Amino acid sequence: MNVHSAFLHLDAISKSFGAVGVLQDVSFSVASNEFLTILGPSGSGKTTILRLIAGFDQATSGTIMLDGKSIDATPINRRPFNTVFQDYALFPHLSVRRNVAYGLMVRGMEKRVIEARVAEVLAVVGLDAYAKRLPHELSGGQRQRVALARAIICEPRLILLDEPLAALDVALRAQMCAFLKSIQRRLEIAFVFITHDQQEAIAMSDRIIVMNKGRIEQMGTPEDLYLRPKTRFVAGFFGENNLIDGRVTGVAADNATVETAIGPVEVAHHASDLTPGTAVQIAIRPENIRVAKDFKSGFAFTVRDVQFAGVSTIIDVVDAKSGVEMRVRQAPGNAADRPAIGAAVALSWATCDVTMVVGGSSDAA
Amino acid sequence: MPLSRTAKETSLNWRAALAGFVCVGLPGLFVLAPLATFMLYSFWRNEDGQLVREFTLQNYAAFFGDATFLRVYAQTILLCLGATILNLIVGYIIALFIARRDARTRFGLVLVFVLPLFTSYIIKIYAIRGILGHRGVLNELLMNLGLIDHPLTVLIFSQTAIFIGLVVLYLPFAVLPIYLSIERIPPNLASASADLGGSTLDELRHIVLPLSIPGIILAGVFTFVMTFGDFATPQMVGGVDGFTFGRIVFTQFGVALNWPLGAALAIILLITAVVMVLVAALAGRWSTAR
Repeated sequence: MNVHSAFLHLDAISKSFGAVGVLQDVSFSVASNEFLTILGPSGSGKTTILRLIAGFDQATSGTIMLDGKSIDATPINRRPFNTVFQDYALFPHLSVRRNVAYGLMVRGMEKRVIEARVAEVLAVVGLDAYAKRLPHELSGGQRQRVALARAIICEPRLILLDEPLAALDVALRAQMCAFLKSIQRRLEIAFVFITHDQQEAIAMSDRIIVMNKGRIEQMGTPEDLYLRPKTRFVAGFFGENNLIDGRVTGVAADNATVETAIGPVEVAHHASDLTPGTAVQIAIRPENIRVAKDFKSGFAFTVRDVQFAGVSTIIDVVDAKSGVEMRVRQAPGNAADRPAIGAAVALSWATCDVTMVVGGSSDAA
Repeated sequence: MPLSRTAKETSLNWRAALAGFVCVGLPGLFVLAPLATFMLYSFWRNEDGQLVREFTLQNYAAFFGDATFLRVYAQTILLCLGATILNLIVGYIIALFIARRDARTRFGLVLVFVLPLFTSYIIKIYAIRGILGHRGVLNELLMNLGLIDHPLTVLIFSQTAIFIGLVVLYLPFAVLPIYLSIERIPPNLASASADLGGSTLDELRHIVLPLSIPGIILAGVFTFVMTFGDFATPQMVGGVDGFTFGRIVFTQFGVALNWPLGAALAIILLITAVVMVLVAALAGRWSTAR
């Protein structure tokens, strides 16, 4: 991605419906050609953000700025953004052509110009052959493309996508992910994509904002969030992770010792203000754990279950003393190399693969 | 075992017979049989108060050969079409108004328009007479406001009075189907229209109006067929000047005691209504075929 300047700013946005707060103090910017994903579980406020940007709702406090000017008073139909709705919201009585033409028609453009533009956009989304069909004569994926075409024909500064892949089956979803990403690259306009699916988010995004309970937990590139989660929520929500509570007992120059139920664990850290006694949570990715059948060094665990899962083998282990359960993913290898259920194994990992987030277990999501 | 099975089969047969009677027998008995009788009567004739059971087309010839019949027939069609069109316009505005309220207000407003359907027809007509009459509420009000010196005579016992009466009486039949069809439109289509830059007027013109056509057609059929067949309203508020086709049919049965002619005129009324329904159905198909 080329570096483009941010054009849209959400500044300290809060939103409540009556006494119920949905968003608290949300601030972020959108760059002019980025694919930004807002990721969060249902009820995290992500759809509310989209509705505020589109103009369907008004923020309780805070300002949305477009090119440095507030658009809080700008009505929906005057904002240069278009939405791809979750259930597409295609006009059922209009053909694909007229659905796509809608945005230009209400702008009073000349018929000839509209027709040329519609043909152009339908070609972009690969639906030229379906111009005369009605929405109910299309498959889910095709409807999705119509919804997208209807949005992009207006040449918006930003396209908002509200969980557009939720209604599609798994195979189609992967295909649409790639399609959306390629369209976004080609058009070079900003996409703000709402989803609760972290795999979709990783696959498509330049940047991800993780939402939880109406607040931004963390924002950054997919790598940032996956490798360097800053909060317990992100560590748990973003991909598969083994999370263990602990307390810092020793702090050295660039690593720290955390006392946990399974024993002391060495953790690499960059925080300068870390002090002994801080409650933390350590996170180790299943794919970063090595399992040794002969017990020489490492952490002693008992194998509870072994599942062959295609690209990897899942080994679930439990520490007999503390009851801590962990999951390990290994390259499949030979069946003979897999540990037997009930066997004692030693787990080990590199210090740099252990991440640590500060915070007690009380705010676990 | 075989015994209980037989019992079960018998009860099933009974149920099938009952269902058959309800679905086919009842409409046959109470709708088709009377219609067939009418049809039969319309081809007989009346001679000095005696029914002559011989096939004749003279009743139909009487209708098509009599300028008065034809004039009243055409007048009534125009009157009812006018009432239907006014009902559709007013009904649409009211339905749209109701559909745009919040859920609780909507319920209350719908109730206001359903309630008249539970009220006796005759009571409603008397109420309208009370409002439109020479010393009625409307005239008194206009005189008290100083807008008129003498009671308006056009308000009662005239074609205008029938027109007003029909519009008021049948308005709920226009409001309800239109309201239901507007309410069925998914709200996110309005969101999509606004999101794509459409104004409220664009939404109404390109989304709401086309999608509520089925409701409009149904409302039109309801009001036309019911106003066209209505004889009580013209009788009560129309006076001598307010003659309609429905009244003529009624007169043949109740006053002139010429049942065959009355039956023939009733059949013509029925055919007119059926043609209107067919036209409406065609219009509906045409509007959705695009």
